[in-house]
Amino acid sequence: MLLRTLLGSALACAALSSAAPAQDALAIRAGKVLTMTGKDLENVVILVENGRITAISDEVKPAWNAKVIDATDKVVMPAWVLAHTSGGLSGGDVENMLNVPYLTVKDALDPASLFVEEALRNGVGTFHVMPGNRTMLGGTGMVARPYGKTVEDMTVLSRTALKLSLASAPGQRTTQIRRLQRALQDVREYLEDFERRKKEFEEEKAAGAAGDKKEFGEEPDAQKKPVIELLQGKLRGYLYVPGPAEVPEALRLANTAKLDLVLVLGWQCWRAARALTNLKNPVVLDPDLEAYDVDPETDTETLVCAAAELAKQGVPFALSIDTGTDGPQRFPWWQAATLVRHGVDRNIALAALTTVPAKLLGLADQVGTVEVGKVANLQILTGDPLKATTWVDQVVLEGQLAYERSKDRRLQHLFGKNDPGQAQAK
Amino acid sequence: MNRCCPTVLILLALAHGAAAQSDRPALVVLKGARIHPVASAPIDGGVLILAGGKVQALGGADLPVPEGAKVIDCTGKVITPGLVDAGANVAIQPRDRNEQGDEVTPQARIVDAMDPLARSLERVLRQGVTTVQVNPGTRNVIGGTGAVLRTHAASAAEMVLKDKSQLRIVLGAEPSQGNMAIRGGNPDSIYYRRPTTRMGVVWTIRKAFYDAQAYREKRTIPANGAPMPELDAGMEVLLEALDRKLTVRSTARAEQDIRTALRLAEEFGYETVLDESAEVWRVIDLVAGAKAKVLFNLPSAARARDGAAADGAEVRLNTLELLAKAKVPFAIQGSGAGLPLIQEAAFAVRQGLDAETALAAITKVPAEVLGVADRVGTLAPGRDADVVVWSGDPFDPATRIESVFVQGRQVVN
Repeated sequence: MLLRTLLGSALACAALSSAAPAQDALAIRAGKVLTMTGKDLENVVILVENGRITAISDEVKPAWNAKVIDATDKVVMPAWVLAHTSGGLSGGDVENMLNVPYLTVKDALDPASLFVEEALRNGVGTFHVMPGNRTMLGGTGMVARPYGKTVEDMTVLSRTALKLSLASAPGQRTTQIRRLQRALQDVREYLEDFERRKKEFEEEKAAGAAGDKKEFGEEPDAQKKPVIELLQGKLRGYLYVPGPAEVPEALRLANTAKLDLVLVLGWQCWRAARALTNLKNPVVLDPDLEAYDVDPETDTETLVCAAAELAKQGVPFALSIDTGTDGPQRFPWWQAATLVRHGVDRNIALAALTTVPAKLLGLADQVGTVEVGKVANLQILTGDPLKATTWVDQVVLEGQLAYERSKDRRLQHLFGKNDPGQAQAK
Repeated sequence: MNRCCPTVLILLALAHGAAAQSDRPALVVLKGARIHPVASAPIDGGVLILAGGKVQALGGADLPVPEGAKVIDCTGKVITPGLVDAGANVAIQPRDRNEQGDEVTPQARIVDAMDPLARSLERVLRQGVTTVQVNPGTRNVIGGTGAVLRTHAASAAEMVLKDKSQLRIVLGAEPSQGNMAIRGGNPDSIYYRRPTTRMGVVWTIRKAFYDAQAYREKRTIPANGAPMPELDAGMEVLLEALDRKLTVRSTARAEQDIRTALRLAEEFGYETVLDESAEVWRVIDLVAGAKAKVLFNLPSAARARDGAAADGAEVRLNTLELLAKAKVPFAIQGSGAGLPLIQEAAFAVRQGLDAETALAAITKVPAEVLGVADRVGTLAPGRDADVVVWSGDPFDPATRIESVFVQGRQVVN
């Protein structure tokens, strides 16, 4: 399937380019390419036509009309993919009602938000926006690109999944579990009732007792639709699991109730790492990756990285970034470097922000790697992605140069470019 | 039950013996690492000899290893001095930082609120910080004296490397925050504390030093037969500052407050360091001219989305680079609040500072500012054996701490 798609898009591109000169041709002369396919390349040219990568080779010659980016002293890698974030939602991400599955982030995503601006500055190419972690049935999400003037411009995928949460007020853990069970059961019963009534109508009609009414003519309650689709296995759920105490219920929902769930795990969930080894989908980790664990007996504390504990058990995961902090957890590269500091393999750390989330979002044939046929979502870095001294120099999204550090007015301002008497820095 | 006892006793004795042994600062040689002594040029594949709690010698691979020494192979590792934080949020309970009985409390000493068992001390120790300056909080105009602490010592008393290291004065809006003018209500309420404006804050400082000057006159030249005024602990502290025996730490974030801090120092002749001075980039020349040193908070927190720091100070990511260019000495401080200190320095490097200056800003410079440079902050014969062994380049975010030595004892492994 994947091969076919790749072949298909390659053929489509080939067909286009032979028919007429490509409209949007781009060539990146890359000193180093972290392809995220297991093999890194050096001194190659990446050709992009109509938004897709058409060739990667040290022999290709850019088309006469191609824009050429000289990145011979730089590192090119896939733009980051965020599997789950609540950034960019105007007015916050917390609803004061618990049961609002009919809401959608599309109505709140603000293209002019600082989150979107920073996402692009930090090399994010694709992000999955979901309602916040505090709402039991919080609504549906979307996949977006950090580029565009309207939500429509930014949309990559609509109505991707339903957000569920087991987060509770202090002392209300079991109540919250029960509440979510009840809310799902309510919809199940509603659906059974609906189906029963529909069936009865069809029987009546068949028996000629339906009178003038020719069609059942009733649709399921639109407000319940996302939950109905979740229960029918037509819509994926992203379930926030605040701690290990909620993990058994999350597993029950995923395994016994057979919901297609992605678990979004709070830091504490590392304690239940061994229970999470047989999930259908990779998990998503909270932005707070490291925290102190205090031994209640000895009162000694240990700095624990949740991702490292999950990696030890072989649980596949995607990382997320913090959108409400002044700390460096807002940088994808920092999150990956934190994992490496805790002994996680570098490739696993990088995959958690590229290939793993790409697959999770159903975009594995589009983004997350640098390969022929993929969408040209690339970040051009001044050095290795996990070094503190490295900056995102340019970002290419779908073949278009979407970000240039030298033209980043806010960053230039912060480096004193506009200050009187200051020479231009950086 | 009885039969178990001898075994337990033996085990206890063994455990005790082991503890006693590891407690004694032995002769330790760290061999093979890249050593950053900070005071001198880096040494590749160097040898560092720790003896009697001090650095005995350091040099290249040819430095002879003394007999009987415990040799630790540090090949591929990087060694720096134990880090020094000129303003750490450790060892003091948050509620103990601000003595709100008065707005001028120079007599207050932060060591009296020090909790030697505070978990925060152990945390920064595990982040490679071996020396910290702790200060009274920022809600008073003159908050009292800070102290330089070791983050690890055999006893609470030995933890104090230098008491009364600095006198804290706070400018800007914070000391008057929450105070209000009397309009009805209960005049005894603590909210009727003065001052209520920046004007009031500066006047409060001036008045304190005027009072100290008058106090000195009365104490030294008793007017014919007039009784000598009683010893005043607060006034005595202010006199030490006026006599330049005690450095004033002027917490001043915004440009106007930095100017005021330098003006007051000139007016009364006290020596001052500028603290938390986020907006110092606006007045680099002034600061350089006044030969003031700067303590800079948490470079990692400066973010592109909004420039405002405390007191409405605007931040610039090239501030430290500008200070370095103007040869203004500065320290990076603030562990216990944000990232580990080494990572804060790494962010300074990210923002354009050279690595050598960044390392000095968390070792040598703060040690000098705090007046403990003869003990800590650099690796040289005779200095305290406070050493951090890193798994690689300390400014690489993937680097881990391998071990920390304080006064020759390995306290983190």
